[in-house]
Amino acid sequence: MTGTRPAALLVVQNLRREYGGVVAVDDVSFSVAAGSMVGLIGPNGAGKSTVIGMIGGAIAPTSGSVQLDGEEITGLSPDKIARRGLIRTFQLSAEFPRLTVMQNLLAAAPDHPGETLVGMALGKRRWGAYEAAQVESARILLERFKMSDKEDVYAGDLSGGQRRLLEVMRALMARPRVLLLDEPTAGVHPSMIGELENQLAGLRDEGLTMLMVEHELGIVGRLCEVVVVMSRGRVIAEGAMAEVRTHQDVREAYFAG
Amino acid sequence: MTIAQQYYATLLLVYLGVNVIAALGLNLQFGVTGILNFAFIIFQAAGAYAYALCTLGPRPSSSLVAGGFQTYFWGTSLPFPIPFLIAALAGGGLSFLIGAVILPRLRGDYQAMAFLVVSLIATGVATNQIGLLNGANGLSSVPKPLMDQLGLALSDYEWFYVGLTAVFCVACVWGCYRLTSSPLGRAMRTVRENEQAALALGKDVRKLRMLAFVIGGGLAGLSGALLVGYISAWAPGSWVYAETFVYITAVIVGGFGNNFGVIIGVLLVPILFGEATRFLPNVGQAGWIDAGQLIVYGILTLLFLWFRPRGVFPERRVRFASAVPTESQPASSSPP
Repeated sequence: MTGTRPAALLVVQNLRREYGGVVAVDDVSFSVAAGSMVGLIGPNGAGKSTVIGMIGGAIAPTSGSVQLDGEEITGLSPDKIARRGLIRTFQLSAEFPRLTVMQNLLAAAPDHPGETLVGMALGKRRWGAYEAAQVESARILLERFKMSDKEDVYAGDLSGGQRRLLEVMRALMARPRVLLLDEPTAGVHPSMIGELENQLAGLRDEGLTMLMVEHELGIVGRLCEVVVVMSRGRVIAEGAMAEVRTHQDVREAYFAG
Repeated sequence: MTIAQQYYATLLLVYLGVNVIAALGLNLQFGVTGILNFAFIIFQAAGAYAYALCTLGPRPSSSLVAGGFQTYFWGTSLPFPIPFLIAALAGGGLSFLIGAVILPRLRGDYQAMAFLVVSLIATGVATNQIGLLNGANGLSSVPKPLMDQLGLALSDYEWFYVGLTAVFCVACVWGCYRLTSSPLGRAMRTVRENEQAALALGKDVRKLRMLAFVIGGGLAGLSGALLVGYISAWAPGSWVYAETFVYITAVIVGGFGNNFGVIIGVLLVPILFGEATRFLPNVGQAGWIDAGQLIVYGILTLLFLWFRPRGVFPERRVRFASAVPTESQPASSSPP
């Protein structure tokens, strides 16, 4: 907490979510500074996915607030939140299986003039140029993620790791201000995890703001300067990985469940 | 050709056009956007009734006046082609009303069940409310478009109607192709593929589903108008829920999400299986063949879902032009 710290792009304040009488998330507050990568960790059932769900709009918070760049986004629908620049990926792969890799990427292009009824009716004269530009940016991404040869492959035919990369690329096509990654390495073959980590490190170095839920603590330690630790619905520690590792509550949460 | 053969040929061609328009509408809802609309046939019925009411003239004041053998709640007589447009609007409008109730609240199996129930209720209401649309007897003597103005011999008029159907059909194929090959069509496909992911990318899923549903309903309405303009009669027996399954079978057999495949599906299912079976010699009980048709549709659907779930012509794999030519000439250039 120094005065030179950049402004927080994503601020979560006192988030709470109850299911019937059960409190899944209780008084969770943290923030993600612009250009930083924050890790959200904790044992199973800690409430991490519920927090991600509430930030992304899929789950309505019982109370508390979420702000994106100073604007209140609490309780907005997921698509509205996405259009404001907060893009999430999913714990289970969420590619569009019967669309090709390229179509998956193009579908994420924001404010596509060909996605309105009028734009569609006017035809390629209206949206062709935008589409061509998107194809270009998609190809640059594919090259960067070493998946150029998969351009015309149906997303459903990709391996688990490639689907993950596709999902990250697709999120990037939406030009996010904040990227929410929900367990990006889940279900990825160990040989692909290194590649995924390198790509995420590259994005971090370019200044993309990210919040990542992840079980692989090694990856979190290497990628995230700040780690938020949750247990039983609450934040129990926050700080650098090396710091929180030594925290008594964190050790108890991980080892005693 | 004998007169009978000629008549049968024109009938098949009109049925083909009508069914292609309807199947394109269902494909947009079901094949492209993933809305399993088991009530599809009622939107065709809405168009057919709308066409009938817009051409039959005012409601007869009593059963003794001309046309008084049937009763309906309202009627007028509008010139061609307005009744066809109103029929499309009726199909789309009813889709909007029913879609607004069902689409946002239900998904998957529950949604399909709700549509099926809506279809049964609609048949029940139209059959039992005699004053609404003449009940189970339905409406008959529906005027044929431009019949009096053209003054053609009946056999020539049949061919005129084939042409009229073809014009509507080509326009619908063109429109559907333009929609499904556009980014809007792609956005609708993302809804079909993974609704949560589509939302997370900022797609207005609710609007996309409604758009596909209403456009599909409009096409259904238009197909109904073309059908009733040809056969001049329309009753609840013409649009029982089972008719929806004929179109669903056509979409599944032909190719889920592929407009061309859907046309082939219509040729194969309602035209080939639905019509060719008429010429089979009747074995056993009378009416066995008719009942057998529905069994064949069911078996076809199952076989395709098992062995060829993407149909005869699966959705086209879209490839994008390579970067080299798009640099020298704008990719946006297209014939006007």
